[in-house]
Amino acid sequence: MKNRVNRAPWAKKRLIGILCTLYIATFSLCAQTTFDEANAAYAEGRYAEAATLYQSLLDEQPNAQLYYNLGNAEYKQGELAQAILAYERALRLKPNYKEAKYNLAFAQSRITDNVREQDFFLSSWARAVRNSLSEWTWTVGSIALFSLALIALLLFLLGREIWLRKTAFHVAWIALLFSIVSGANAFSLHQRDTLRNEAIITQGIVNAKSSPDRSGTDLFTVHEGTKVTIRETIGEWANIRVGNNEGWIRLQNLERI
Amino acid sequence: MALTGFAEDVIFKAQAPSQVVVGRPFQLTYTVNQRSRDLRAPEFTDFDVLAGPYTSTSSSMSLVNGRRTSTYEQTYTYTLMAQRAGTFTIGPATVRVDGANVQSNGVRIAVLPEDEQPAQQQNASGSQNTQSSQSARSNQGSQGSQGSVNADNLFVRTIVTKTRVHEQEALLLTYKLYFANVDVAQLTNNTKLPEFTGFLKQELEQGEVQTELEHYNGRNYQTAVLYRTVLYPQHSGDIQIDPARFEVVIRVQTQQQVRSIFDNFFATYTNVTRMLTAPGVTIHAAALPKGKPAGFSGGVGKFSLTPSISQTEVQTNDAVTIRLDITGAGNMKLLKTPSIDWPEGFEPYDPKVTNNFSTSTAGMSGTKSIEYLAIPRNAGEYTIPPVTFSYFDIEDKQYHTLRTPEYTIRVKRGAGESSVSAGSTANGGAVYYAPKEDIKQLGSDIRYIDTKPLKKNTERKVQHTDLIWLFYVVPLVLAILILIVLRKQIKENADAARVRYKRANKVAQKRLKAAAAALQANDKDRFYEEIERAAWTYLSDRLSIPTAELNKDNIAALLAQKGVSETLINEVKNVLSTAEFARYAPTTDHAMDDLYRATTQLINNLEDQRI
Repeated sequence: MKNRVNRAPWAKKRLIGILCTLYIATFSLCAQTTFDEANAAYAEGRYAEAATLYQSLLDEQPNAQLYYNLGNAEYKQGELAQAILAYERALRLKPNYKEAKYNLAFAQSRITDNVREQDFFLSSWARAVRNSLSEWTWTVGSIALFSLALIALLLFLLGREIWLRKTAFHVAWIALLFSIVSGANAFSLHQRDTLRNEAIITQGIVNAKSSPDRSGTDLFTVHEGTKVTIRETIGEWANIRVGNNEGWIRLQNLERI
Repeated sequence: MALTGFAEDVIFKAQAPSQVVVGRPFQLTYTVNQRSRDLRAPEFTDFDVLAGPYTSTSSSMSLVNGRRTSTYEQTYTYTLMAQRAGTFTIGPATVRVDGANVQSNGVRIAVLPEDEQPAQQQNASGSQNTQSSQSARSNQGSQGSQGSVNADNLFVRTIVTKTRVHEQEALLLTYKLYFANVDVAQLTNNTKLPEFTGFLKQELEQGEVQTELEHYNGRNYQTAVLYRTVLYPQHSGDIQIDPARFEVVIRVQTQQQVRSIFDNFFATYTNVTRMLTAPGVTIHAAALPKGKPAGFSGGVGKFSLTPSISQTEVQTNDAVTIRLDITGAGNMKLLKTPSIDWPEGFEPYDPKVTNNFSTSTAGMSGTKSIEYLAIPRNAGEYTIPPVTFSYFDIEDKQYHTLRTPEYTIRVKRGAGESSVSAGSTANGGAVYYAPKEDIKQLGSDIRYIDTKPLKKNTERKVQHTDLIWLFYVVPLVLAILILIVLRKQIKENADAARVRYKRANKVAQKRLKAAAAALQANDKDRFYEEIERAAWTYLSDRLSIPTAELNKDNIAALLAQKGVSETLINEVKNVLSTAEFARYAPTTDHAMDDLYRATTQLINNLEDQRI
């Protein structure tokens, strides 16, 4: 196979194309081809086509880069909610994705709702810290710090030199503190990703009801692209929280991140 | 009527009313302005010749400023009567003028059917009542002899070309006066036109009021157009046009008891004003279909766009003009001026718009010329994006978008300008500075897609989250095992040192007590041994350093580290050396007493310092 490819470089692309249709085993090669195709479609302004291609790749394997590009393609088509959703998902996979952060902020600046988080500034700061690293990093960090704390404790208990014992003691309690913080962050992220209780409103405009049925009183209105927190679901209804408002909307009007 | 002729000065024309009624005689005249003979009339296939041709001539001469002008006119008159209704053409006639044949124009005549009313009455002759016979008489009588004036023989109609239109689509509204057997003298100024709310109105020029014959509802009327306007509905939905009112003056023959042979001849007339109301009408305007293009100009009709640019190679500060000619028919007046997105570095001026519209019964048409002027201030090559102009086509009911080509303008630096505005001392010492510009934020958009080669998702997932606790427990257990194994050392390190530290004073006091006993017993060796041990063990315990490792030098250093004052340290040194020396040297009781007191004092002092 490899020989054939080398002998006829002009047929390489074609061959890859055929292979792509035949085998999924050659994923990475295929994916790159499809990815290039999608990028070309985007460059030429065929955003809908690009979005379909990115989505097809994402169906096989989630990837931050793909989500980011999908977000761009959706944004260019005017699908603000879908774009925000894709950026959020990209950031889930790669918390420090600068471009995704920028474009997310840009897309959010264009949505109708201006949700002001009424949180205490420390909690929003804490959330930012939490979201800046992945669950894996937090977990590994927490374990490493815990081990460090234990080693320092042993040094403190077993050390003969005063300075060593003193240093070990301080290292131990600081490492233990950070281990706990990291562990908490890891747990929080794990909860977020397993519960998937954050969602984006996909409907242009939705009235949140006081109770999970159609006859409920309209409490407030949310618009497309707004990020909400799902507190609980009953049947096809979800109890959501936006800022300080709480109400029931239908699950079909939102999509979980 | 148009005219034809061979020679320039020979005018030979045919004249006849454009509308006639079946069975009514009318006159067809041929007029020549030269002496002529041998008139050859065309065949009047659809008309009966009742009389003619009668020839009459007239001539006149006038002297104006010594210039003699003479007019001559020869007229041939036929009296014809149409046989049936329809539109007929009477072909050209020929006449001989100075031996040459001259041809006249043809004449088109619309023949209207007869009034139906008299025919009905003739059929229903058995049941005549006074009123109908009266109106029959008035109908048959010539104009001027009046019967009653009612809504049947004097009224105004509201005529619209269409009642179902699109928003912004032109329609023609006409108020037409119909009258039969009524002598309408004039139209007064007391006219009340509706507001035409919801429409853009474009009135048509009203020339002299001309009457025409028209067959309407089975009757022939004289008609006159009172008012005409082109209307453009400004919104969709049903738009009501209110009734209009016109006031006309009619001449009515006064009824006189005295009847004489001159009755008709000397008939007296009075002017009567009549208020006529033209009915209102409702226009159903359909909204323009959805899917308006982004740059919809509001234009409805049919338009074409002719763009032109003055020059594509200019020098800085030379004006560039782009001209758009929008030609077509439709709501020209309401067209939005498309805007040109001049690139940065151009100083645009307000576009100059020249409208050249004319309104006809079909609506407004003409050309809207827009001139965009901009002055390039910076050299370079600039691209002017296409200007789009979209409109709704009434015929195919679709939006069309016209666009100009994309112009590329090459701007060269003009003479006498340089990109580097260096200080010029020659020019009166004036120094020019290049105007500084901040980087301008022209717009904002999302960042471009990530085109780096697709990487596999490197983000590691936490697997087996339910077993994570093992990573904490296993090291903890290990640590505890290590501690258990090494607990002896911990005791040595921690407990022993601490206990000794805490017990240092007690131990020292014990030794001092023993020293006091030795002093009492005058046991010199024991006394010094106890004193020395009290001092050394105390310091050893307090500094957590084995006695073997202690000497006077490191004691001083350690004490200094702990913040003990210089004098105290000197005292410590003093006591230690005194005890050391005295042990091996002959001493007095007095010296032993002193040393005892000094040592007790020293330990107390050190205790106070909490080393």
